[in-house]
Amino acid sequence: MRFLTLLSCLLLFLGSTAPAAFAADKDTLVVSVSSDIHTMDPGVSSDNYDWRQIYPCYDRLVKYKVENGVGLTEVEPMAAESWTVSEDGLKWVFKIRQGITFDDGTPLNAEAVRYSLDRTLAIGKGPADNIGAIATMVAVDDYTLEITLKNPYGPFLQTLATNGASIVNPKTAQKAVGDDKAQAFLAENVDGSGPFKVVEWTRGQRCVLEAKPDYWGDKPRLKKVIIRFMSESSDRRMALEQGDVDIAENILIDQIPALEKNKDIVVNRFPSQMVEYVYVNCQNEKLKNPAVRQALSYAVDYQGIIDHVLQGNGVQMRGPIPDGMWGHRKDVFQYTLDVAKAKELLKAAGAENLELTLIYSERRATWEQIALVMQANLADIGVKLNLELMANPTLRDKIDKGDFDLCLGAWSPDFADPYMFMNFWFDSAKAGLPGNRSFYKNDHVDELVRKAEVSSDVEERKKLYSEAQDIIMQDAPYIFLYQIQTIVPLRASVQGYVFNPMLESMYNFESISKK
Amino acid sequence: MRILTYIIKRILAAIPVLIGVSILTFIISHAIPGDPALLIVGPKASKAAVESIRKEHGLDRPMPVQYLRYMRGLAQGDLGQSIRNHRPVTSDLADFLPATLELTMASLFLCLFIGIPLGILAAVRRNRLADHVARVISVIGVSTPVFWLGLMLLLLFYRHLGWLPGSGRLDVTSSPPIGVTGLYVIDAALAGDWALFKEVLSHLILPAFCLSYVYLAVITRIVRSSMIAVLGQDYITTAKANGLSTFRVIFKHAFKNSLIPTVTIAGLSLGELLGGAILTETIFAWPGMGKYVVDSINSLDFPAIMGFTLVASTAYVAINLCVDVLYAFLNPRIRY
Repeated sequence: MRFLTLLSCLLLFLGSTAPAAFAADKDTLVVSVSSDIHTMDPGVSSDNYDWRQIYPCYDRLVKYKVENGVGLTEVEPMAAESWTVSEDGLKWVFKIRQGITFDDGTPLNAEAVRYSLDRTLAIGKGPADNIGAIATMVAVDDYTLEITLKNPYGPFLQTLATNGASIVNPKTAQKAVGDDKAQAFLAENVDGSGPFKVVEWTRGQRCVLEAKPDYWGDKPRLKKVIIRFMSESSDRRMALEQGDVDIAENILIDQIPALEKNKDIVVNRFPSQMVEYVYVNCQNEKLKNPAVRQALSYAVDYQGIIDHVLQGNGVQMRGPIPDGMWGHRKDVFQYTLDVAKAKELLKAAGAENLELTLIYSERRATWEQIALVMQANLADIGVKLNLELMANPTLRDKIDKGDFDLCLGAWSPDFADPYMFMNFWFDSAKAGLPGNRSFYKNDHVDELVRKAEVSSDVEERKKLYSEAQDIIMQDAPYIFLYQIQTIVPLRASVQGYVFNPMLESMYNFESISKK
Repeated sequence: MRILTYIIKRILAAIPVLIGVSILTFIISHAIPGDPALLIVGPKASKAAVESIRKEHGLDRPMPVQYLRYMRGLAQGDLGQSIRNHRPVTSDLADFLPATLELTMASLFLCLFIGIPLGILAAVRRNRLADHVARVISVIGVSTPVFWLGLMLLLLFYRHLGWLPGSGRLDVTSSPPIGVTGLYVIDAALAGDWALFKEVLSHLILPAFCLSYVYLAVITRIVRSSMIAVLGQDYITTAKANGLSTFRVIFKHAFKNSLIPTVTIAGLSLGELLGGAILTETIFAWPGMGKYVVDSINSLDFPAIMGFTLVASTAYVAINLCVDVLYAFLNPRIRY
C-alpha cells in the first residue's frame, strides 16, 4: 500500500510538469543537428559541423552572394570594401570597411586581418592549406592591407570566404598560453565581429548563439539560435514533427516521404556540390590499363543507384566538376551503363576473369547498398568484386598508402573554384589522401591543371580545365557516380533560409526569421 | 579492523590490475591500423599539416616512448589531451561522466525498485499468475533490442501521448543548473529550482527505464530463484510454525538471505551500465560516456580511449570491492 502511495505521489509530481511541447518563441530558432562541436577555433577546424557555429560569429573579407533568395558561389565584399589585384596576380590590396568593431570595441582593421590570416598560417593545420599561397602581408595604413602571394593563385579570392579566413580579434593574442597562439582559448570561445556570439556551449547537449543587435551589417531578425545535438535521425525527426525544433538536418532518406506528408513541415531539396565517386587505383597492376578502367565505368548502373538507393535524391555526375560550379561542362563525355561495351573493352585488354576488392566505410548509410549494386553490376561483365567494410581510420590509412583496388568516397569543395576538383583530384603532386586518391598520373593533365592554378584569367582557366576534362574522361581514373541533393526539412514557420552549396551544414542565421 | 586491512589490500592489488589494463588498452588501440592525425586535419590537408598534428600530439614518437610519456602524465593526474576535441581528457570526462552516472543510478534504482518486488512476488506465488506475468516481463526484457525499445518509448510517450519530454537531459530551451556535481537532479535540488528538478526527472524516466529493462529482467529472475531456494529452508518453516506473519517471514527472514546473488548481479550490472550505454545514450541524445568513447574510437583518439578505459576499470574494481564488503554485512558468517 505504501508502495502504491509513493508511486502515485511521484507520478502526480511529474505529471504536473505537463511536458507536451516546448516550442521556442518566434525570436528563437532551434536547429537539431547530428554532431557536437569539436573546436570553435577558425584557425584549427576543418569540419563543417564546427563551422556551423563559428561562421556566423565572425566576419571575413568577402562573402558569398545571395540573389533572389538563392545562394551563389560568387563572392562579394564583406569586411573588405574593395580590392585591386596586380596584373601578374601576385599583389592584392584590400580596402577594409571602417566602423566595424569587435565586442570589446577593438576596431576591425588591416592589422586585425593580418593577425588572423597570419595566425591560421602559423598554426599550420587544415585551414592553413586553403590560404597557403600567401607570402607576406603588410598593413599599408589602418584600413589598407597588401597581400603578396608566393605565386599567382586563381582561387585566392574564393579562399578568403572560407571559415579559416575568419577575422579574429587581435587582442586574443593576450590569451595565448605559451606558444599555443590562443588555441586553447579560441577552442571554447569566439571573439569575432559577426552577427552572433556563442553564449553557451554545453558539450553533447547544445550550443546557444545570441544575436548582436548592433551588428554593422543587416541586423539579425532572430534573438537567439539554439543548436541541439541529437545523434539519432529518428529522434531529430520526432522533435521536428513535435515542433520542439525548427530545422532538422541529416534526416535519413527513407524517413523523408513521411515528413513530406506533414503540412507543418516543408522539405527543401537543393543541388549540392557534394559528390560521391569511386577511386580506381591507377598504380595497381590490374587497373593500370585505361581500357580496364573504362570498362568499370561502363559497367555501373548509375541511374539504378540514384533511383533506388538514393530514392531520386541525386544526379549523375557529368565530368569531374559538378553542375553549379563554373568550369562544369554539359557536353563532356559521360559514361552510362553499357555491359556489351564493357565486356568488349575487357576482352581487348586481356583482362577477363578479373577479381577486385572494393573498400568502404560506414560513413554513409547508403554505401553498403551501393557496394552491393556495384558487386552485381561488375559480375555482369565477369569481374568478381569482393566487398570489404572497414573502420574509417583504417580506410583513410589505406587510401593514403594506395593499398586498395577500388574505394568509395565523397568530396565537397571548401571554396567555389574548380581547383577544388581538378587540382586536388588529378595533380599527381597531391597523390594519396590530400586529393588524388586514384594515384592518377598524366603529365599533360599535370601541366594543364598547374597552369590553371597560377592563372588569374578565368577564361583561360576554363579552357585549360576543359581540355584536361576530355583527357580525364578517357583515362577514367574515377567512377563518377552522382552529385547529391541536400535535403533540409524545416517547420513551415521558418522564413528566409538560404542554402549555399559552399556552406554545407551551415545556416544564414542572420537573415532567418520565424512567423 | 580486519575488514579495513582487507579493503587496503584490495586497493593495493588493484594498482597492477589498472597498469595491466592501461598497457593492454594502449597496445590494442595503437594496433588498429590508421593515423588519428589524418582524421583530425580534415580530408584535404597537405602532408605538412598532418605532420604538424603528429608532432603536436607526440604521435611521431615510438610506441613505448608514447606510453611512458602517458604514464608520467598519469602519475601527475594528467590524462593527456584529446586529439579530437583539442582539450584535456579530464575536462571531457568531467563533462560526460556525470550524465552517465545519473542515468546509471536512475536505471539501477528502477532495476531494484521494480525487479526485487517482482522477483519476490514470483517466488511467493510460484507457478501462479503473478509468476507467469513476471516471467513474461523478464523474457521480453532480455529479448527486446534496446534500440527498438527506446524508439518505441519515445514514439509513444513523447510523440503520440505527449506525456513525457523527448530526448536530452533538459528541454530545448532550458539551461543546465549551475554545476556542483554535474548530476542535474542533485544540482537542481541544491539550487532550489524545483521546476527544473521536475524537468530533469521527467527527462530521466524514459532513458532510465529503457536502460534498466534488460537488467531488471535479470534481477527479477535471480531474486525469484534465490527466494525459492531460501523459502524451502527449515528455518523458514520454523518461522512460519511460530506464527509469524507472511510479511515478516518474507522480508525479515527470507529476503535478506536471498540477497547475496542479487547484490552480485546488481554490482556487475552497475559496472556494465557505467561502461557506457551507447545505444540508450544515442537514442535519447544523452551526453554520456558511451557516445563519447565510441566517437573517440572512431577517430582513434588514444588519450580519450585510455582515459575512458581507466575510469571504467577503476569503477569495476571499486564496485567489486563494495560488493565483497557488502557480503560480509549481509551474511555475518562471511569473514575476511
